[in-house]
Amino acid sequence: MSTREADRITAAEETLNTLFDISQLLNTGLDKETLATCVGLIESGVNPEALAAVVQELRRENAAAKAAHATNGR
Amino acid sequence: MSDALDSLVYSLVPRARQDDRLKRQLVAHCEEILSSHIGQTAEKDIGHLADSIKRHLLQTNPSGASTLRFTNLLSRLLDQPVLSRKQASLQFLHTLASTPVSAPAASFLPALAPPPPSRPSSKATTPIESHPTSRPHRGKSKADLLREYRLRLGQPHIPEHLILRDTLYLLQGISGKYVQFSVSKDAEQNKELIFTEDPRYFVPAPMRALIHRLAEVGHLYQRVDAFVREREGRVGVGMIEQSLCHHLQTQLTEYYRLIAVLESQMSAAPHADESGKENVAAEDRTREEETGLTLKRLDVWIEDWRLRMRMMSVCVEGARDAHGGALVNLIHGYAENGDPFIRKFTNQLLEEVSKPFFATLHKWLFSGELYDPFSEFFVAVDPELAHLQYMQPSLQGVGQLASDGGFGGGDVEDTSEEHAGGLQLWEQKYRFRKEMLPAFVGETFGRKIFSTGKSLNFIRYSCHDSDWVATRERLSNTGGTLKYSDIVGLERSIDTAYQIASQRLFDVFFDKYKLLDHLMALKHYLLLGHGDFADQLMETLGPSLSRPANTLYRHNLTATLESALRSSNAQNDPPDVLRRLDARMLEYSHGEIGWDVFTLEYKVDAPIDTVLDPTAMMKYLKLFNHLWKVKRIEGTLNSGWMRIAGGAKTFLRVPELEYDWHQIRLVMAEMIHFIRQVVAYCHLEVIECSWQDLSHFIQKKEGDLDALIENHRAYLDRMVKKVLLLSPKAGREENLLNQVRDVFTMILNFREATDDLYNYCLTESARRDAEKDAARGVYTRIESAEDRRYTTESLPDILSRVREYGAAFSDRVQGIVQALASHPDLDCRFLGIRLSFSDFYKTKKEQQLRA
Repeated sequence: MSTREADRITAAEETLNTLFDISQLLNTGLDKETLATCVGLIESGVNPEALAAVVQELRRENAAAKAAHATNGR
Repeated sequence: MSDALDSLVYSLVPRARQDDRLKRQLVAHCEEILSSHIGQTAEKDIGHLADSIKRHLLQTNPSGASTLRFTNLLSRLLDQPVLSRKQASLQFLHTLASTPVSAPAASFLPALAPPPPSRPSSKATTPIESHPTSRPHRGKSKADLLREYRLRLGQPHIPEHLILRDTLYLLQGISGKYVQFSVSKDAEQNKELIFTEDPRYFVPAPMRALIHRLAEVGHLYQRVDAFVREREGRVGVGMIEQSLCHHLQTQLTEYYRLIAVLESQMSAAPHADESGKENVAAEDRTREEETGLTLKRLDVWIEDWRLRMRMMSVCVEGARDAHGGALVNLIHGYAENGDPFIRKFTNQLLEEVSKPFFATLHKWLFSGELYDPFSEFFVAVDPELAHLQYMQPSLQGVGQLASDGGFGGGDVEDTSEEHAGGLQLWEQKYRFRKEMLPAFVGETFGRKIFSTGKSLNFIRYSCHDSDWVATRERLSNTGGTLKYSDIVGLERSIDTAYQIASQRLFDVFFDKYKLLDHLMALKHYLLLGHGDFADQLMETLGPSLSRPANTLYRHNLTATLESALRSSNAQNDPPDVLRRLDARMLEYSHGEIGWDVFTLEYKVDAPIDTVLDPTAMMKYLKLFNHLWKVKRIEGTLNSGWMRIAGGAKTFLRVPELEYDWHQIRLVMAEMIHFIRQVVAYCHLEVIECSWQDLSHFIQKKEGDLDALIENHRAYLDRMVKKVLLLSPKAGREENLLNQVRDVFTMILNFREATDDLYNYCLTESARRDAEKDAARGVYTRIESAEDRRYTTESLPDILSRVREYGAAFSDRVQGIVQALASHPDLDCRFLGIRLSFSDFYKTKKEQQLRA
């Protein structure tokens, strides 16, 4: 691994850290991996607002699934 | 990309790791969302995004610490080179953050169960919808409180659509259900707005104010409409007013169109909430915000028309008093406005309104016809002279002549031939009305237009040259029309038309009617310019003029005139000129002799009498009278001098009277000097100089007929003033003239006295001759009765008369010289100097004073 590659990785990490900080500040509730995935998606051209909608949707699914699980499990 | 989605689904929904069907379902759903149109609005710029994030942070955490931290982080992020779509990431985070994180809490409330996952509610996640809910809930506004209070009282605010309908009625000047026009009680009958007291509804004050504003347009509309209707029904409305009405009507039609559009907008708005349910109304309101009509919107729509209506109303107000050109003027007064809207509106209006004016102008300017049935043009015709033609005998003309000068006592057939004077026709047939002249034309151009039309009219009717005018008119029709927007072109056409018409009029006068010949003839005959003719006339006429006036007959006079013409150079003049020359007698009273009443006359007819009008002819006669007198005195003195000079040497041998004769010769020489100076002054200094000015003007051929008349008048006035030595002092104009006439009488008396003396001498010498003959023894004496008049006894009487008249003459002349020295006119003063050349009279006076 060349030094340039290493530089790039550290820079990416730093960026991710910064974004994560902002995310924390904004209280989005995303963990670091999810954030990284989302940023990757955005970088690949996904509309950010649509992505936000997706995240929300998935969260809601999760909650519903959990609730359903809880009631089923009871 | 699907990998990333998978991991996203796994990390957010852990259960999907086990449940493959769920995972697939979720991924499909996610793709569906991503491919949907959510959030495809616009890329916000990063500054704006940062701002909204900061605002969001401030809302959740008012201390400001987190904002500061965000700013730090943001600047660090922007420094990083890695990401290409930083702002998209930020946007993502912001969107996520601004959605409520109440999702976990929601699971505790079974009542708000999330919708089934198969049917996603995209609406819930749109940022538009999320905004209001994210804001902290505020207290109700005062307006809301008031509204609720009124509702509790049972008098809710009136729903807007009800009042809206009324307002649309108001805009058309019709009273509505809740708001009505009513005639107020004050004197001016002004409309005022009344809100009907309806127990069910209450109209709040802001709404009232708004309606008041809107109703102004309705009120103005009523006025304009009433004006148009009133004019429509009336007869005898001027053309300019008619076109004003037309323009107003088109404007009103525009206005109706607007109202119709507004009305359709209003009906598009929902009527559902008749029942007044609050929640339904609230929903409607949100929809109305996007489409329907509200009072405020109406106000904006109407704004433009408010101005226009005001302008129209002002015009209407002005039109009540103004008429024709004055109306155009009034409107033009508003055209000079800094506001482009008003200017444009006024210009449009003016363009329309001035059309009939320009039609009239065109007719007037190019054919000299006044077509103005409602007397709106700035040229007005005198109704009495409108149909007067040249050749018709008119009583007016006779009356004027008779009252003016009172010549023509003897012959009736002469005066009856007089017709309405050309000058009268020219000057009074058309009148210039300054108040009707549109301001955009300007007064100088107005005058030009006036003069042009007048000239054309004159050429046509008075000079019988209508062919030329008709040709001109046809030519001019190709030159395009006159209109308000082309003022420069208008001025150009006015200028050319003016020039052509004036030129033509000049040509007609000088070529066709030979005005110059007539002027020359007047100068030659009436002003005694032809010396040989005057001498001849004087010679042949002199003896008969000494007789009493009542023994003179006109046929004798004319015969004498005829022979004078034949025997002088005047016979070479054109017969047309000689034909007009006539000898007449003025009206005489008892005791007058032929000299007092004889006059030459020069007859002019149409259309020359426009320039040589009766007043001018009167002046010519006056001049002739004076000059004729001067001529007579000159002739008298000449013949007297001949007799004295010749006779004294040959046969008047009365030595004791030698000294007296010497004295007489001295006085006579003085008289001759006087009269020669006067004659030279009249002819050389006055008449010829004035004539030169006039002929200069004529050669230049500038100006119109008015200028010609003006110049001729000036020429004549100058001559009258100077020849008659008139002084400008009121009441004493003729002082000098009277003195000069006195001098003339003195000269005549003196001549008579010298004649007596001459006769005496003749008798005396004859007697002495007879005595000598008798001494020689030849009897030659013939005793006759007439010789007894000149006896030795009458000698002292004759001598005293001679001396008396001589002294009186000298005195008078001295007075005249003195008066002339202080005469305001320079030429007259020079006459004084010439009369007293070498200070003859001055030293004489000094001698007298010393003695």
